Amino acid sequence: MVLLKGLGLSLLSSMAWGLLFNVPVRTLLACGFAGLTGWLVFALLPLFGAEVILCTFVAATVVSMLSQMLSIWLRVPSTNFSVAGIIPLVPGSLAYKAMLAFVNGEYINGLTLGMQTAMVAGAIASGLILGISVFTIWRETRHARKRAQ
Amino acid sequence: MSSDLVMDTCLLAGEIMLKNGGETYRTEETMSLIARAAGMDSVNSSATPTSIILSFRTNGQDHTRMVRTPSRTINLNKVTLANDVSRRFVSGKITLLEAYHLFEQIDRGKPVYPRWLLHMAAGIASGSFSMLAGGSWYDLLPSVLAGLTVNLSLQFFEKFLRMKFFTEFMSALLGGLFAFLSVTIFPQLHFSILIIGAMLPLFPGIAITNSLRDLIAGDLVAGVSRGAEALLTALSVAVATAITLWFMR
Repeated sequence: MVLLKGLGLSLLSSMAWGLLFNVPVRTLLACGFAGLTGWLVFALLPLFGAEVILCTFVAATVVSMLSQMLSIWLRVPSTNFSVAGIIPLVPGSLAYKAMLAFVNGEYINGLTLGMQTAMVAGAIASGLILGISVFTIWRETRHARKRAQ
Repeated sequence: MSSDLVMDTCLLAGEIMLKNGGETYRTEETMSLIARAAGMDSVNSSATPTSIILSFRTNGQDHTRMVRTPSRTINLNKVTLANDVSRRFVSGKITLLEAYHLFEQIDRGKPVYPRWLLHMAAGIASGSFSMLAGGSWYDLLPSVLAGLTVNLSLQFFEKFLRMKFFTEFMSALLGGLFAFLSVTIFPQLHFSILIIGAMLPLFPGIAITNSLRDLIAGDLVAGVSRGAEALLTALSVAVATAITLWFMR
């Protein structure tokens, strides 16, 4: 039930975010699907004992690779999907807690939380990069094989 | 094929992409591909988030032109359409003149979605994000309204304040004040959840993803400057949040 609620919410938030950036109408549902998949990976990995940074990293990689595939399938730039897809992964509550600690004068606590926020943001960034790189390698090898034939 | 038309078409295509949130490397690649497909020699293009330079050589003469793109909005639909037209021209399905007219049409085109729908979308994104962050059903409506407030004030302040940093700061502050007011009136709401949702429409998603794409494509200047843009936005949101948290104490 909790999973179902999360799936619906992540679909909704990604679609709304895509709408906010004027993505083409025919890609709207695919945007939501990218966000849903990312959130599903993010929510399921802790069951196998993964930390939040690893979860975010893997989820961002999945979102990035999925957006590349969708971009080939629907023939639109992949930014359309990856921008909307990472929304459910944004470390909003961590950033809020860090700000709260700073305002209350708990600087050590605030620095710890701020560092964690930065790590999660970095995990999203490196996940996106890894997805693009893996996909590029796959495409290049496929092209090379075609040329060799 | 006249070199002026080639230059105009390439620059228009690049301008559309850069103005509406396309990546810098995509802008450069599109311009080079169009110019090469039109039969120009030694094509070089360079784009940063604020300017485009294109140069090529034809009939023993060099042509170079530069345009600046001071105002930037985000409309991924136009980027997609421009990408499509340039692909069709490069594969030889349409002529250069047709491509130019299509680019002009795209440039003049209105946004796909009406304004009110965009504000609603901001509200829905805020609401569902705050629910994802662990809010109860009671928090849904206030956070939708908070996101709506932020997006509306973003549109409102854009007309008066020319500085992007200050626009975002004021919108974040207003969203925070809305959350503060609703928590004072209904104490059973969660202030943290409302704030987390309210700040979502300000999240610099395009700037971050584009800066990463530019960085790994080797466009170091463009990547770093877009990253700085994202950092500035994050900073303004953080300061505004800190001020609202101060009110709460």
